Amino acid sequence: MDNGATMHLAVSPVPDTSPGTGLEFNRLASFVQRAEAAKLDMVLLADAAPTSGGESANKPMPFESTTLLAALATVTNGIGLVAAASTMAHQPYNLGRRVASLDIISHGRAGWNATMAQVPREAANFSRPEGFSADDFRRRSEEYIGIVQGLWRGWDRDALLFDKSGGRFHDPEKMHLLDHKGEFFSVRGPLNVARSPQDTPVLVLSGLSEPDLDIAARAADVILLESGPIEGANLRYDNLKRRIAACGRDPDSVKVLTNISLAADGRLTAAADRLEEQFHAKSCDGFNIQLPAQLPVIDEFADLVVPELRRRGLFRENYRGTTLRSHLGLVGGGEQ
Amino acid sequence: MTAQMKLGAFLWATGHHIAAWRHPKVHVTAGIDIDHYIQLARTAEAAKFDMIFCEDAAGLREANVGIASQTSRSIGFEPISLLSALAVQTSRIGLVSTASTSYNEPYGLARTFLSLDHLSGGRAGWNLVTSASPIEAANFGSTGLKLHADRYERAREFAEVVTGLWHGKSSGHDGQSFSVRDPLDLPRSPQGAPVMVQAGASDVGRDLAARTADVVFTAAQTFEEAKAFYDDLKGRLAAYGREPDDIKIMPGVSPVVAETETEAREKHEELQALIPDDVGVALLSSYLSISDLWRYPIDGPLPELPESEGMKSRQALVVEQSRRDGLSIRQLARHFAGARGHWRIVGTPAQVADELQSRFEGGAADGFNVMPSYFPGELDAFATLVVPELQRRGLFRRDYEGRTLRDHLGLKRPA
Ligand SMILES: Cc1cc2nc3c(=O)[nH]c(=O)nc-3n(C[C@H](O)[C@H](O)[C@@H](O)COP(=O)(O)O)c2cc1C
Repeated sequence: MDNGATMHLAVSPVPDTSPGTGLEFNRLASFVQRAEAAKLDMVLLADAAPTSGGESANKPMPFESTTLLAALATVTNGIGLVAAASTMAHQPYNLGRRVASLDIISHGRAGWNATMAQVPREAANFSRPEGFSADDFRRRSEEYIGIVQGLWRGWDRDALLFDKSGGRFHDPEKMHLLDHKGEFFSVRGPLNVARSPQDTPVLVLSGLSEPDLDIAARAADVILLESGPIEGANLRYDNLKRRIAACGRDPDSVKVLTNISLAADGRLTAAADRLEEQFHAKSCDGFNIQLPAQLPVIDEFADLVVPELRRRGLFRENYRGTTLRSHLGLVGGGEQ
Repeated sequence: MTAQMKLGAFLWATGHHIAAWRHPKVHVTAGIDIDHYIQLARTAEAAKFDMIFCEDAAGLREANVGIASQTSRSIGFEPISLLSALAVQTSRIGLVSTASTSYNEPYGLARTFLSLDHLSGGRAGWNLVTSASPIEAANFGSTGLKLHADRYERAREFAEVVTGLWHGKSSGHDGQSFSVRDPLDLPRSPQGAPVMVQAGASDVGRDLAARTADVVFTAAQTFEEAKAFYDDLKGRLAAYGREPDDIKIMPGVSPVVAETETEAREKHEELQALIPDDVGVALLSSYLSISDLWRYPIDGPLPELPESEGMKSRQALVVEQSRRDGLSIRQLARHFAGARGHWRIVGTPAQVADELQSRFEGGAADGFNVMPSYFPGELDAFATLVVPELQRRGLFRRDYEGRTLRDHLGLKRPA
């Protein structure tokens, strides 16, 4: 690439739909380890809760995403791990705390994927059978995300003193209450989890409708878009980056990834062409590749597509640091 | 084979003694070091403990920041994420996490624990608590703590929904506090259902335990207290169509153990010397649900207390101890700082084993939740000194008999 910019690559394991093949942990761990060996930026873990809302939903993951992330964190050491978790299923304090804890367990490789789309079945299982109107849900989501990000900043980087003889475990000045009182939530804070090794876990937003884009521009570290026709995709990208700048943020401080689903039959070499074409059209900063969670498929992607992208100068050879933020080229974690 | 006792390893960052973090042998960054926890879990598994146990609070433990900053309790891992990490770093030991019925929804919590159960191959358990702290309440939109009775009513419905979901009940629930439409979208548990643990020992707490718990965690100082609780709780089971053996009662015990009695006493004194008085008094007052204990003369007696809406059972325990032993606030606070009101034993491996044996054989406990004073030292000491002594006496297993937590605890697999 002219300016040396390379694409970001995430992968989402899509559960096998063939009957009788449960996705046990060891197989999933091997899948993620293979993605790590190929130096992909991150794995996006879908949550098992039905998201398609229909009876024909994919066979779900047999695991809830945050518990799965914790387990994967101990059997990998480089790749970023992002768990989907819904704003219906958790209170913001609990979710902010869970993800902060995951970030420490993974030594700064954790992220939270919040979808802005309301899932009616979730509402029905979480004592909200009537759900929220689209507008209320949007305001609630933005408030929720603000709380979680605020909680993640409750402890200064140098708050912990560990001073045994002086009897000072932490500096009381460096712990901050959130004291949030809003339309939907009130949360005092701070978290009872220390600050993240990457300052704050990475926030991935997806499931965005047009009116959600400004929220994403204000808050997200990574924005996930559905793939569309290549014509017009670069306009969509420019538009999003302009909105980010309009919020007073560096357009490069938010990475825009496009979801791409690659078929399991084996024609993966053609995929490099497709990724290159879209990347050169300046329609995104990288891709989230949705792959069937099978070893032969990730092997093929890692052995055939990734080296080809490297040959073309489109993907980096190695991780630049140890945190997810450093993989994504985002500030934070004192590594930049 | 005669019955053997059950043992939990209650892990807590630097240790259960409030001043543990200041001890020279303590790993001071324990609360943010996952490798430290993996090591502790492996130690406990090698010693054949039934389970690892984690407490929880969704908020700071201490309201006063000046006091909080003199303890290590304001930061740590969130226990479900911690145990999920430990699930794939161990292979046999049970994994029990505390979670509140006051600040969760049953569908989400049932799913999360079932996921932990799948990750661990059937070794998960949920310790049901109702949350007694106003500091937590402020993180969940409440202006104050809900009344004890209301919290327990919500807990009863919560437990009913969770067990229904785990047992594959397919019809929905539309109740006072919760509505749920679908069955869980995860396969059935490898052990039938995760184990239900409960901590909460007031009258309503005991009723709820008799109805739903497989294991009860409790605090007791004396043999008589422990025995009375044991008999009372086991006596309540018949009303719910259950057998006395369906529930395992495991009081907390915090040992300080060394090869000789003198050495053990020295170890204990060394820890006691590290407690600042204001930290001790603050800890005691938070469990008594009284905010201004520091106003009373520290060498005087405990004042009359209004009945707690927080932890009724612990308040009663402290009041009883202060009367029985005629202790001043300072003495009570220093005692309480050792293990928050749980039973403490300072002595040799044989002395510790004697004490445990007499409570176990005397019908006051089915086992114990072991609360090491500091980590890793006192867990290692219990594992290498006390466990072999218990094994020699035939009181504890030499190897796991099965794979799942229900197997270890000798609990029936739910239909
Ligand atoms: C031995 C024991 C351990 C407890 N551990 C916790 C805990 O880890 N987190 C928590 O929020 N509450 C804990 N509790 C508190 C209870 O769940 C409950 O919130 C409180 O009302 C005490 O109930 P009780 O009055 O029925 O004992 C514990 C209670 C007991 C007796």
